[in-house]
Amino acid sequence: MTTPFSLYLDRETGLHRLHPLTKLALALFYLVAGIAAPGVWGSYTVFLLLLPPALWGRIARPLLVAAGKAVLPFAVSLFLVQGFFWPGGTPILTLGPFSLKEEGLVFAIRSTGRILALVGSFLLLTLSTRPDRLMQALGERGTPQALTYILLTTLQIVPRFQEKARTILDAQRSRGLETEGNPWQRVRALLPLIQPLILGSIVDIEERAIALEVRAFGRSGPKTNLVALADSRGQQLARWLLLFGAVAVVGARLFLAVTGP
Amino acid sequence: MNRIKEDFNTLTLVMIPVAIAINIAIGQIVYALKLPLYLDSIGTVLVGVLAGPWAGALTGLLSNLVWGVSGLNVAYTWYAPVAAVIGLLAGFFAQWGWFKTWWKVILGGLLTGLVAAILSAPITAYVYGGVTGSGTDVIVAVFRNIGLGILPSSFVQGVSSDPLDKAVSFLIVYLIIRGLPYRFVDRFPRSEAVS
Repeated sequence: MTTPFSLYLDRETGLHRLHPLTKLALALFYLVAGIAAPGVWGSYTVFLLLLPPALWGRIARPLLVAAGKAVLPFAVSLFLVQGFFWPGGTPILTLGPFSLKEEGLVFAIRSTGRILALVGSFLLLTLSTRPDRLMQALGERGTPQALTYILLTTLQIVPRFQEKARTILDAQRSRGLETEGNPWQRVRALLPLIQPLILGSIVDIEERAIALEVRAFGRSGPKTNLVALADSRGQQLARWLLLFGAVAVVGARLFLAVTGP
Repeated sequence: MNRIKEDFNTLTLVMIPVAIAINIAIGQIVYALKLPLYLDSIGTVLVGVLAGPWAGALTGLLSNLVWGVSGLNVAYTWYAPVAAVIGLLAGFFAQWGWFKTWWKVILGGLLTGLVAAILSAPITAYVYGGVTGSGTDVIVAVFRNIGLGILPSSFVQGVSSDPLDKAVSFLIVYLIIRGLPYRFVDRFPRSEAVS
């Protein structure tokens, strides 16, 4: 099997051994808390609270690196666009014709924090949960089999496609296709790159469909899984508490918004 | 209802992961060519045309969810509803016979892009503070500078890129389908939409 399309890191830790749905509930809780957190620095606090479970799963460093990579372009844009081009606003620093506005800077810091918390909570789930186990868990809870099939297959074929795309790019370049230079040249390079990728892949779809049908893919009724997922009473309780906690956080935030200053 | 069930036959179910992979792989090629386009919905449009609006919507939705939850492009997750609508619209345009003439294909793409821009603006504004972390943020800066709000600025930024992007995507799908063997196209639930 090719490596699935995911940042998942295989580690032997308690976090990794948790039932996938428990980690999904945990990520949802952080997600909701990250959006609802009040103040300029609230979302940053939520992000910091992601670190204990990440340390437990020994994924803290990859989580920080991946989150940094994802958030940096947004942070730079926010700082430049909203910080310097905030209409009106109180200037706090002037650089030539531009000035940094206080309101814009506060907005940029708050938005960056929110994006950081959103990205971080996803990464906590992704880095510690095998995608196929998550799909299996969702399938066992009644997610239609067609849906889990689509998601699992996608995760497996995307890396193969990326490889194919790179091969085509190299092959066409070696035949003299201009992939650099002026925009028009690059637009013209598009079709010779896209066409072989799509035509090649579409044609073997039919064969795969036939292969699945002769293996009773369309048959209804329960199916057996090769791997059994471990779950426990404690984790079931934890999941309910996390979902309840997420609702409570939203409630508290709305209460603050109504009664607050 | 029966029509939808027919749309999701085994061929469609096998097609959807391939379409998602096409979205992601071509999205990355285009990124490598440094073009001011995304072209990350070609697979979505393809499924919409060949297997109907609902299969197209599912492809779009799952594309962004998979891309996001894989941890490789987390920012895309929140645009999943927009991607779903792109697949949906491609499916409806095909149903109305717009995928048989090249200029109707382009028109359909432009309209889809406009709708995509309208729907992504609030997401860009409220989730990402009005920026996308790419070069088109310059447009946001210009419009913020003349005093426009964050939501309108995000919309202008979307309009500057989405209609062109979707028109090109629609046109590519039209050319691809014309290049496919008819025997193959005929096996899809909505083959009558393109022939």
